[in-house]
Amino acid sequence: MLELIDVSTYYGNIQALKGISLHVEAGEVVTLIGSNGAGKSTTLRTIQGLLRPRQGRILFEGRDLQTVPTEEIVRLGIAQSPEGRMIFPRMTVLENLEMGAFQRRDKPAVIKADMDQVFDRFPRLRERMTQKGGTLSGGEQQMLAIGRALMARPRLLLLDEPSMGLAPMLVSQIFSIIQEISAEGMTILLVEQNARMALTVANRGYVLQTGEIVLAGDAKDLQVNETVRKAYLGEE
Amino acid sequence: MQIILKALRANLVLGAVSAFTVLLFGGWSGGVMGWLLGTATGYLKTQDQFVPNPQVGARIGAVNGLALGIWTAIANLAYGLILRPLIGQSSVPLGQSLLYAIVSIVLATASATLMGAIQGLANPRHKQATWFTLAFILLIFPFVDQIAKTGWIATVIQIQIFAMLALGLNIPVGYAGLLDLGYAAFFAIGAYTTGMLSSPHLGIEWNFWIVIWIAAAVAAIAGIILGAPTLPLRGDYLAIVTLGFGEIVPIVFRNLTEIKIVEPISSLVATILNKPELAICLVGCDQPFNLTNGEAGINPIGRPSLPIIGTFSSTNYLPWYYLVLFLVLFSMFMINRLRNSRLGRAWTAIREDELAASAMGINRVNVKLLAFAMGATFSGFAGAFYGSYITAIFPSVFDFSVSVIILCMVILGGLGNMTGVLLGCIIIMAADRLYLPQLAQVLKGLLNTTILPNVANPALRDFLAISFDPIQMRLFLFGLVLVVMMIVRPEGLVPNERRKAELHSENSVANESLADVRSA
Repeated sequence: MLELIDVSTYYGNIQALKGISLHVEAGEVVTLIGSNGAGKSTTLRTIQGLLRPRQGRILFEGRDLQTVPTEEIVRLGIAQSPEGRMIFPRMTVLENLEMGAFQRRDKPAVIKADMDQVFDRFPRLRERMTQKGGTLSGGEQQMLAIGRALMARPRLLLLDEPSMGLAPMLVSQIFSIIQEISAEGMTILLVEQNARMALTVANRGYVLQTGEIVLAGDAKDLQVNETVRKAYLGEE
Repeated sequence: MQIILKALRANLVLGAVSAFTVLLFGGWSGGVMGWLLGTATGYLKTQDQFVPNPQVGARIGAVNGLALGIWTAIANLAYGLILRPLIGQSSVPLGQSLLYAIVSIVLATASATLMGAIQGLANPRHKQATWFTLAFILLIFPFVDQIAKTGWIATVIQIQIFAMLALGLNIPVGYAGLLDLGYAAFFAIGAYTTGMLSSPHLGIEWNFWIVIWIAAAVAAIAGIILGAPTLPLRGDYLAIVTLGFGEIVPIVFRNLTEIKIVEPISSLVATILNKPELAICLVGCDQPFNLTNGEAGINPIGRPSLPIIGTFSSTNYLPWYYLVLFLVLFSMFMINRLRNSRLGRAWTAIREDELAASAMGINRVNVKLLAFAMGATFSGFAGAFYGSYITAIFPSVFDFSVSVIILCMVILGGLGNMTGVLLGCIIIMAADRLYLPQLAQVLKGLLNTTILPNVANPALRDFLAISFDPIQMRLFLFGLVLVVMMIVRPEGLVPNERRKAELHSENSVANESLADVRSA
C-alpha cells in the first residue's frame, strides 16, 4: 500500500533520513521504533508531505507522493495523529473533530455519523464534547488526536508516539484501542519509543537509528532479537 | 428608592459617559445620549438575568433607564447653571436647563423600557426585535442629530469608515493570527485607485459605483502581493515585513510624480553605442508622467451619484451617511459569512497550530493569502468611500499612525470579536474626533475666564496658557489608555472566548500539567 524507496530528508543541511526504504501492506500494523532523534517523526512528516524528501520515492497505492501537496495526500487517505498530539487547544472537542474532516467533501450527515463512531470508540470524548481541547487531560488529548485523524476517513493511519507522556494504564488503554482499530481493517504505521508495547501490537517492525534502518522483520522476531532487547527493551 | 440607588450605582459607567457628554456639548446632547445609552442599558441589564416576559424586562429597563436619565439630568443642570458661566458663556436659564434634564430622563427611561421589554419576548422574536430596534436607531440617527443640533454626523461617518477598516484588519489579525502593522497601506491603495480612476487628474472619470469594486479588487491583489513573501514568516518577523510594506506604500504614492519608462534592451543598446536616440521610450516621453501628484495629492475625486438624489453634495451628509452605513453592514454580513465558512475554520486552525492545521489537510499558503486578501478587500471599500467623501487624497493621510490606530481599535475591543471591534472603533474614534476637540474648547474657556485671571504669577500663567491643551496630549492620552487596558483587561472589552482562554490560561495550564503528573 505504502512504499518508501531510498528516501532522504534534510533539515537545512542536516540530513535527518539517510536513504530509508520501507513498505506497509494493506491491513498491516507496522511499527517504526528507535530512540530520540532517530528520524521517526521525520519519516511520518515526509510521508504526509509536511517535509519534502531531497531524494527517493514515496509510493502510495502506486502513486508518487513526493510532489503531491499535503491536502491532496490527506484526501488520498493518509491521516496522522501527530507527535505531541497537537490538538487545537482553544477549539472544542467537537470543533477539533470537525477539523479532522476538513478535506472531506461528504455531506454533513455522513460526517456526523463518523463523529458518532468516534464518540462510541472514545466515550470520554462525548462527555467532553463542548469542552476546549486544551483543558483535556493528556490521555483524553491523545484520544482526541486519534479520533481527529480517524475523522479524515483514512486508509492509512499514521500514529506518532501515541504513548508519549501518558501514565502506564493509559498507555495500555491506547494500545488496545490501536488493536481495535486495526482489527476493523485499518492499515497503521505506528511510530513509538515504547518498543515493547509497539512490538506486541504490530505485525512487522523497523528499527531506525540516526536516520537509517538498521533492522527489519516480523515483530515476533524483533522482540527476541539480541540488539533490540539490549538497546530498546532495556534487557540484559 | 433603594432600587433607584442601586440602579444609579449599576449605571455608573454609562451614566458617566452620558454626563460627560452633556458637560462637554450641552443642549439636547443629553436627550440623544439618553436615547442611545438608554437603549444600551436596557439591553445590557437584561442579559445577565432571566427575563420571563416583557413586563419584567420593561421594569428592569425602566429602573436602569431612569438611573441613567438622572445622571444625565444632573449633568444638564450642572452644565447650564454652573459650567457655562465658568467657561465664559452665558448661563442657560433654569427653565431651559430643567427642560433639557426632563427630556433626558424621559428619553432614557422610555428607550430603556422598550429595549428591556423586547428582551422579555419569546426566543426568536426578541433577537429579531433587538436587531430591528438597532436598525431603526441607525436609520433615524441623522434626523435626530439634526433636530437635536448636536452636529455629530460628520464624526459618525468617520467612525463608520474606520469601522470598515477595523473589521477588515480583524480578519488577518483576529481570525488568522497574522499580525499586520501596515494595514493603512491597503486603505491607501483603495483610496488611490479611486483617485486615479475618477478624477480629472488623469482624465479618467469613471463612475464611483464601478470604481469602488475595482478599488476593493486592487487592494485584495495588493494583499496577496504582501502575503506572498510573508508566508514562511511568523510572529515578530511577519509584523516587521508588514510594517515595511505599510511604510513603502505611502512613499511610493508620494514619489510617483515623474515617471518615464524606457524599454530596457534598447536603452542598454543606446548606452553601449552612446546614441541616446536609439532608446525606445514607452511612457512619459515628452514630459515625465505624473501619476499621483505627490504631496499635493489627487484632487478633486468624483462623487457618487444616484438617480433621484443626484450627485452627493459636500454640504448634505445624509446620502454619505446611508452609503457608508450600507457598506459597513455589507462588510459585517460578508465577514460573518466568511467567519462561519470552511475558510473561517481554517483561519482559526492556522492561528491555533499551523503544523497541526496542515496535517489536517489545510492549505496553509492559500488560507494565509486569503486572510490578507480578504482583510485588504474591506479596506479597499473604505478607501474608495473615503477618497470620494473627502474628494481629495494625500499620501500623509495613510502613515504608520493610522495602521496603529486601527490595530488599537481591534485590540481594545477584543481580537476576533466583531462586536468588540466595532465598540473599540466607536470608543477610539469618538474620543479622538469628537470628545477631545470639544474638551479642548471647554478647558480653554475654563482657563481663560476662570483660572488665568486668578493666577498671580505671570510665568505660571503663561505656562498654563500654552501647555494646557488636550489636543497636543492626544497621543499621550491614547498611549495611557492602551497601557492601562493591557494591564487591566488584556482580552479587550468584548473578548473572543478563545482569546480569553489564551490570556488567562496560566492557571488552567498549571492545573492540567499537575493532573498529568498525578495520573502518571
